[in-house]
This record gives sequence, structure tokens and C-alpha cells, in this order.
Amino acid sequence: MSNELARVQWNRPLGAGYHHLCLSTSEAYAGARPGQFVMLEVAQGPAPLLRRPFSIHRRLAEGGAHRGIEILFKVVGDGTARLARRDVGDRLALLGPLGRGFVWRDGYRRVYLAAGGIGVAPLVFLLEDILPQIDREASAVFLGGRGQQDLLCREEFTRMGVAVHLTTDDGSCGQQCFLTDPLEAACATKPPDVIFACGPMEMLRCVAGIAARHKVSCQVSIEARMACGLGACLGCAVEGAAEAGDKYLHVCMDGPVFEAHRLRF
Amino acid sequence: MTLEPTCPPPAPPAASPDLHVRIGSLTLRNPVMTASGTFGYGGEFRDLVDLEGLGAIVVKGLSLKPARGNPPPRIVETPCGMLNAIGLENIGVEAFIRTRLPLLRKVATPVVTNLYGTTEEEYAALAGIIDAEADIAAAELNISCPNVTCGGMAFGVNAQAAASLVRSVRRRLTKPLIVKLSPNVTDITAIARAVAAEGADAISLINTITGMAIDVETRRPQLANITGGLSGPAIRPIAVRMVWQVAGAVDLPIIGIGGILTAADALQFIIAGATAVQVGTANFINPAATLEIVHGLAAYLTRHGLAGIPDLVGRLERP
Ligand SMILES: Cc1cc2nc3c(=O)[nH]c(=O)nc-3n(C[C@H](O)[C@H](O)[C@H](O)COP(=O)(O)OP(=O)(O)OC[C@H]3O[C@@H](n4cnc5c(N)ncnc54)[C@H](O)[C@@H]3O)c2cc1C
Ligand SMILES: Cc1cc2nc3c(=O)[nH]c(=O)nc-3n(C[C@H](O)[C@H](O)[C@H](O)COP(=O)(O)O)c2cc1C
Ligand code: FES
Repeated sequence: MSNELARVQWNRPLGAGYHHLCLSTSEAYAGARPGQFVMLEVAQGPAPLLRRPFSIHRRLAEGGAHRGIEILFKVVGDGTARLARRDVGDRLALLGPLGRGFVWRDGYRRVYLAAGGIGVAPLVFLLEDILPQIDREASAVFLGGRGQQDLLCREEFTRMGVAVHLTTDDGSCGQQCFLTDPLEAACATKPPDVIFACGPMEMLRCVAGIAARHKVSCQVSIEARMACGLGACLGCAVEGAAEAGDKYLHVCMDGPVFEAHRLRF
Repeated sequence: MTLEPTCPPPAPPAASPDLHVRIGSLTLRNPVMTASGTFGYGGEFRDLVDLEGLGAIVVKGLSLKPARGNPPPRIVETPCGMLNAIGLENIGVEAFIRTRLPLLRKVATPVVTNLYGTTEEEYAALAGIIDAEADIAAAELNISCPNVTCGGMAFGVNAQAAASLVRSVRRRLTKPLIVKLSPNVTDITAIARAVAAEGADAISLINTITGMAIDVETRRPQLANITGGLSGPAIRPIAVRMVWQVAGAVDLPIIGIGGILTAADALQFIIAGATAVQVGTANFINPAATLEIVHGLAAYLTRHGLAGIPDLVGRLERP
């Protein structure tokens, strides 16, 4: 875990409030795992006070040498609005890599990824990482969003040679439905070895339900408000499932990626 | 706050001034302690902070039995501060001693346990357990938590209840006893005098100020607990004022707490009358804040030609 000043390499608007940020970082991030996150200062000065949590979208390497990390973020409030205004060369305090990422198990071949909106951020890193181990023809990505503008990283997934199912709430792109519709259909006909999902809580609840119905193992990356990101404030508690002893789990330490059945949705 | 460089934190200059302070029978290498509940059980920060650079480590509030804490959401950011309603989630004093103290034992920095109970008997029992542990330097009595339904703050807002509690704990505790006061009172000096009269060795203040924030779109409170404790720079002027008042009311070492982010913030408390300080919310904003403050205090003493912190405690000039 490293606490450092990271330099903004680029910060590109992608439209509809989405931004693609690249930070040069120390070697501490060379070993970062998909699903892990960082706590990032969004602006210098007193407001906002707390760093904000962001998933690692990708690692940046050049000629085999580690260069930095990429973050994909959406402007939802004051902090992310300030982050959107950071410029090339700005230095921002960065803590990470933090938390437990996605867990890969031997024998996973057919893999479904489900990404709702900005939830796509950690799944690109994940697919890049597991690509050599999976059966590409049998695996698929399910991307969902409100409209066309919310379906990010389509090209990245297509380039990796997996099928991409697009769904939008307004029908502006792909099927007009929630991504859980095609996911459920695919699970019924060709159940995967594992589902990896990230997105809004409502969506994850639904994905967890599908996984349970089709007896497929499922890992979800969830969010909680965080102050420290490292287990000190206990602010990031979420309810664990009854089978997990009805305990509070802490998203920053026990997650942000959980086996879906460990959570109470 | 200064963020450059954050890691590794700067080492104090070679000919660094003497930063030692005394809290009762306890000697600290410098006046910068961590505030309870903001530094976990210490180990969480070991990759980020040289724990032997701290004056003392105050761990998360401990109760006799493990406590589950409040339902989420538990925290929300507010202007220049944050509200929390953690509800004293902790692993319990026995588990702390068994699983967390071994790591802290290897660190040559005094460990202070923050104690929380719902009855006088629980506090006294906790004090007894702590007193038997050679590797715990002192106890801080949390009579000021706003986020639990019984006990906690109930003791801290009534001078008689506070006095009676300190008396019971004092009987079981030979180690230095720090009593942490609540700012949610009309006259904090009355509580301070009451606990001083019962044999407290030091007073720490302030705990968080009860607050509330509402999401106007949903009309729901931002915290599941509805109210929470406000911390961070937003409360600093109130905390400095209260330290100054208590310093004028009792003849005990005071530990100043509230919104300290930088050495300059810590100095305000010391000049107002605090012998030491605790750093809380700043640990979340910048995990290296404590050591940067130590460094800044040393630089200040050098710049002002002062021999040590005691030369500065309570040396407020007239306006
Ligand atoms: C482990 C983790 C990984 C994340 N990864 C990404 C990512 O890759 N890209 C991205 O765009 N966002 C990500 N987020 C969410 C991101 O942290 C929040 O959007 C951000 O903190 C909002 O800050 P703000 O100041 O702009 O909004 P605020 O003004 O603080 O809040 C705006 C709204 O968002 C809600 N909100 C704030 N923080 C959170 C949070 N942590 N979780 C859920 N809701 C929140 C608030 O309740 C409010 O309704 C992640 C969160 C976590 C916990
Ligand atoms: C998340 C959080 C948890 C806390 N837990 C405790 C606790 O267990 N016991 C206690 O005495 N004070 C607790 N406090 C209060 C702090 O120790 C401190 O008194 C207060 O936050 C003011 O200091 P600050 O502004 O520097 O944070 C907690 C504060 C925060 C923000
Ligand atoms: S964010 Fe502080 S404990 Fe998880």
C-alpha cells in the first residue's frame, strides 16, 4: 500500500459526464489486481475534505515497465466535478492499491461479465487479466446503461474477442431492457462457470438472484461511502447475509468484491 | 494541509528540538497522538506511518463485549467536516488484547486504550482488565460518544454522573487515566472540574459535536442513525475555545482534539493550554498527517528559539 503524489498524465472527457483519467504512479501499482481500488484526492485545498474511492480501470505499462493507472469516472457530485477539472501535470494524493479484488479459480472457462453504467470500470482490467485463461467464444460481456452514452468501453471488449450484449433503458442502443434480461436468458441456455458484476446496487441484487437461480458462482463489486479506505474508520459497513453470521462486512477491507451470497441485498 | 512529500514522511532535522511532554506519569516522545476511532487498532497504518514517530497510539473505543455498531450509511461528508455514526463497532477488549496488542507490543510507542461502557460497572471492569496488561500505557475514558443510545455521552453531560464514574474507574486503574469530554454540554468546565476532583490524570477534549444532515431529494437523513458526530476542521474553533476554557479551570494536563490537520492547527491548541494533541479525521484525508505535524512542531520550536513544548503550553498573549 502506498501513499503518494500521482501526476495527471491525461484527463479526457468522454461525454455525458464520463472521464478517463490517467495517473503516473509508483511501482506499488505494478502488482495491483482487478477489482482493487484507490482513494484519490480530487482537488487541493479544504473542499472536499475526504479522498474519493475509484476502481482501478487499467494498469498502464510501456515496454513492460509500469507507468501508472487509469481511472474511469462519472461526475455525480462536487468531488467528481472537481476531479473532472484536473489538468495534465497536476499532482493528486493517491492511496492504494486497496481492498480485495476479483478472485480467479482454476477451471473457470466460460465467464460472463455484467457491467451497469460506470460499473464497467474494473471489468476491463479484469477481462484483460483473465483473457489467456478463458474460452473467448463461450464468454460474454453484458453492458447496460440508461442510454447509448452510458455504454462505455464497447471497443475494448470487442477487441478482446468476446461477445458484447448491449442494453439500454431508453432503447437508444441495443435491446431496450435491463442487462439482466439477456444475462438471465444466457444463464438459462449456457450457464457460465462464474459471473463477475459491477454496477448499481439494484442491478447487482438482480444479478445475484440470477446467479442463485442458475446455481452459478457470482462475484460483485459494491460501493459504500468511505472515509479512509483502509479499515480504520469503520464507515463502509454493509449487511452480511444470514449464512455469513449476520455481521457487518467492511467494503474497503472485506471487499469491494464479494461472493454475492455473502451479502444481504 | 501540506501534502508534499507524503510518503515517506520527512524525518525531523538532525538537531531537532526536544519534543517530549508529560501526561501524568506518562512521558511521550512528542505531543502528537492519534485520536480514537480514526487510526483503527494501529496496524492498519503500519505501511504508511512510522508508528515509532508518534507520541502515542490511541486505539478504537473498546467495550467488554464485541459491538456490532450502527446500520449503514454511517458517514457523510459535510462542509469542512464529516458526520459519523459508527456506533462504537469494536472487537471487544479481550480480542483486542489477544489479536491486536501483539503487533503494537513490537512498537516502542505508548498504547492508550479508549474505553466505553454502558454502566459504571462495565467501565470499572474494563479498567481492571486494562490495568493488568503491562503493554498498555494508559486508558482514555470515552464518556462522550454521541452515537450510542445508553451510556457514553450520558456520563459526559452530567457532572455528578461523570464524577461518580471516574471514582469507580479510578479504584480499578493504577495506570494514567485520561477522561475524554463531550462538547455537547452547556458548561464544559463544570464537567472538567468534577472529573479532576476524582483523580483523573489528564483531560482530553473534544469528542465530536452532535449534528445532522438531510438529503432533500429523498427527505431522508443522510445517516441511518439520523444524527451523528461532527468532526474535522469545521469544529476546530469550538475545540480551541473549549481547551482554553478548561485550561483555565483545572490544573491537569490537557490533550487538545478537534479538526487538527497541520502543525499550525496543533499549535493553536498548545498555546490555548494543551500539553498534547490528538489527530483524528486528518488521518483519513492524509494518512501521513500525524508525522508531518510532528515535523512541523519541531520546525516551529527551532524557528522561535524555544527549548521545548512546555515553554509554549498556555502561553497565549493578550489580544
Ligand atoms: C470501491 C469503490 C470503487 C468506486 N469506483 C468508481 C469508479 O471506478 N468510477 C466512478 O465514477 N465512481 C466510482 N465509485 C463511486 C465514487 O467514489 C463516487 O461517485 C464519488 O465518491 C462521488 O463523489 P462526489 O463528491 O462527486 O459526490 P458526492 O457529492 O459525495 O455525492 C453525490 C451522490 O453520490 C452518492 N455517493 C457518494 N459517494 C458514494 C459512494 N462511495 N458510493 C455510492 N454512492 C456514493 C451520494 O450519496 C450522493 O447521492 C466507487 C466507489 C467505491 C466505494
Ligand atoms: C469515524 C470516527 C470514529 C470515532 N470513534 C471514536 C471512538 O471510538 N472513541 C472516541 O472516544 N472517539 C471517537 N471519535 C472521535 C475522535 O476521536 C475525535 O475526538 C473527533 O473526531 C474530533 O477530532 P478530529 O476533528 O480531529 O477528527 C471518532 C471520530 C470519527 C470521525
Ligand atoms: S472506509 Fe474506512 S473502514 Fe472502510
